[in-house]
Amino acid sequence: MRHDNTIADRITGLVFLALGISMLVGGFFMDRLEFRQIHPASIPGLLPMGLGAAMAFCALLLVLSTGRQSPLTGGDNDASVQNATSDDPGSYKNLLVTAFLSIAYAAGLVGQIPFYAATAIFIFLFSVYFLWPGNDADSKAKFRISLLCAVYAMVFAVGISVLFRYGFLVRLP
Amino acid sequence: MQAFSALAEALAGLMTPMSLFHVAWATLLGIFVGSLPGLTATMGVALLTTLTYTLERDPAILVLICMYVGAIYGGSRSAILLNIPGTPASAATALDGYPLAQRGQASYAMALATAGSAMGTLVGIALLVLLAPPLAEIALNFGSFEFFWLALFGIIISAQLTAGTSQLKGYIAGLLGLMVAMIGSEGIHAHVRFNMGISDLNGGIALIPAMVGAFGFAEVLTVMWRPPGKLIDPESAYARTLPRLADLWRLKFTIGRSGIIGTLVGIIPGVGEDIGAWASYAVAKKLSKSRDQFGHGSTEGLTAAETGNSAVVPGALIPALTLAVPGSAPAAVLIAALFIHGVRPGPMIMIEQPDFIYSVAAMLVLATIAIAIYGVTLTRVFVLILKVPRELLMPVVFTLCVIGPYALTQRVFDIWVMLIFGVLGFVLRRMNYPMAPLVLGIILGSLLDKSLRRGLTLSNGELTPFFARPISLGFALVIGMTILLSIPLVRRQLARLIQAKP
Repeated sequence: MRHDNTIADRITGLVFLALGISMLVGGFFMDRLEFRQIHPASIPGLLPMGLGAAMAFCALLLVLSTGRQSPLTGGDNDASVQNATSDDPGSYKNLLVTAFLSIAYAAGLVGQIPFYAATAIFIFLFSVYFLWPGNDADSKAKFRISLLCAVYAMVFAVGISVLFRYGFLVRLP
Repeated sequence: MQAFSALAEALAGLMTPMSLFHVAWATLLGIFVGSLPGLTATMGVALLTTLTYTLERDPAILVLICMYVGAIYGGSRSAILLNIPGTPASAATALDGYPLAQRGQASYAMALATAGSAMGTLVGIALLVLLAPPLAEIALNFGSFEFFWLALFGIIISAQLTAGTSQLKGYIAGLLGLMVAMIGSEGIHAHVRFNMGISDLNGGIALIPAMVGAFGFAEVLTVMWRPPGKLIDPESAYARTLPRLADLWRLKFTIGRSGIIGTLVGIIPGVGEDIGAWASYAVAKKLSKSRDQFGHGSTEGLTAAETGNSAVVPGALIPALTLAVPGSAPAAVLIAALFIHGVRPGPMIMIEQPDFIYSVAAMLVLATIAIAIYGVTLTRVFVLILKVPRELLMPVVFTLCVIGPYALTQRVFDIWVMLIFGVLGFVLRRMNYPMAPLVLGIILGSLLDKSLRRGLTLSNGELTPFFARPISLGFALVIGMTILLSIPLVRRQLARLIQAKP
């Protein structure tokens, strides 16, 4: 599955164009520290202005280059920078579940409940979801997978917590 | 000769039981990380950096270098057995390694990969001890003008060489990295820029959380998104594990040439192991008498790719140590780790810590010996590692991605940075934006900014000194040519001119 088609390139090009213009404007209006009598060539906004202009220019070129391609053709796809399976169709369901569980753990659970508990819940849910044998499997297989994932989650949650807390003296979140 | 005696001295200094213990576990962990699809060398070095805070300087650097060497080598295991490169550096290895494995010669392919990796690293180490000290001496003449061009050169060359056919996306990735580096307190007047009212951004975005996100979380998402690879019949991997000397003799030119190409590619800022492997592979194919075999199980192709990617490791450390400009993404993390452990890489390194370059070379030698030993003895273990289900591995990897960056500053904010860079890294990679220029931009942004403004202050706002000094002028010309040649219209006109020439 390719994500470098013309529509995607056009949208990202516009986002980068807005980003470039924002940085250019931000750099221009940045404090020039005149009250500290600094050299005018060393104002903090100098490079941001240049970067903003360069980004806006590159983004504009990207947007313009998409006008010459049909909507579903790739802008650029070089085999040399891709690995053997990059064009294999991936599972968006797997991707969304992974992103949801990971972000819910890192941004939701961590810091709210003890780290070892948050980690155990995350590892258990993650592994049990992806290893679940399916509805037609017998209850024995389901129990076996659940038990395996629970033990696995506990071992790694406690192991990682102990390593960082007592091995590296980190105050866990 | 003096360089090699200094290397021998440094090697003797590392021959302590504790150092050898660190070499043993860190290299094994590196091979484990590299062999598992989704765990890259950059991610391994970044995560391990967070585990070395409590170690002394030398053991910490030793552990990180062993992880780096081991991971680049380990990528060949899954490339050969699964046809999925464990790290991007092994993508070229899969082209010939997997067909060899399909023909029942998996162990032979792994033995050749081991020999190629070990010898490639050794060629790189020889060039490291020979080239790094004089380069550091030359770099002593660098002023603000030269450092400005050097930083720009690194990002533009990296964008050009890692972006495939769309240099524009490479430039955009580099600019994004530089923009990220503009966040936080700047290095001349300590003025806080673009913090958006968030006090946690006053110190800027730390490299380790950003790298762990872009290379760790993004990889977790990629691995779970892709269909799993299919392991070839493992029985064919259990047979002979020593390469035949006659084969190595036959491949001596390929090994020597690929080692040199890999090291030179490594020296170019921000290019990295994958390009080293592809460049060595392309040259080997061009010069081979049996080029039709390439892609169908050529031992020459496999050796060139593996020698090339491993030789990049010492090569990438040459600019990292002498100029503080990384030759690859893992080397960028290593620079951050060096600062954490009190080493200041850059032109002053040969004055402040003259033995350090040789110590690093000695560490590389030990890591090379370790990969050779493990490569020969632990074939069965590698096959077992590849059988670990990704569904069990990835949540643990992600947990380390969360706690690793947090451990450095103990700020929950760094977990957020990791998450944002992870999602951003995944999306950008799916859209074929290379990550190397982005990383290099984050690393070199401060150098570029400070050098530009210091240079302009010194010249009272005049631009002439940026072009009048010989090294500056050289950099400016190369950068100008590179940008010009990346414009399709210019390339087409040039090709037409060349064709029209009788």
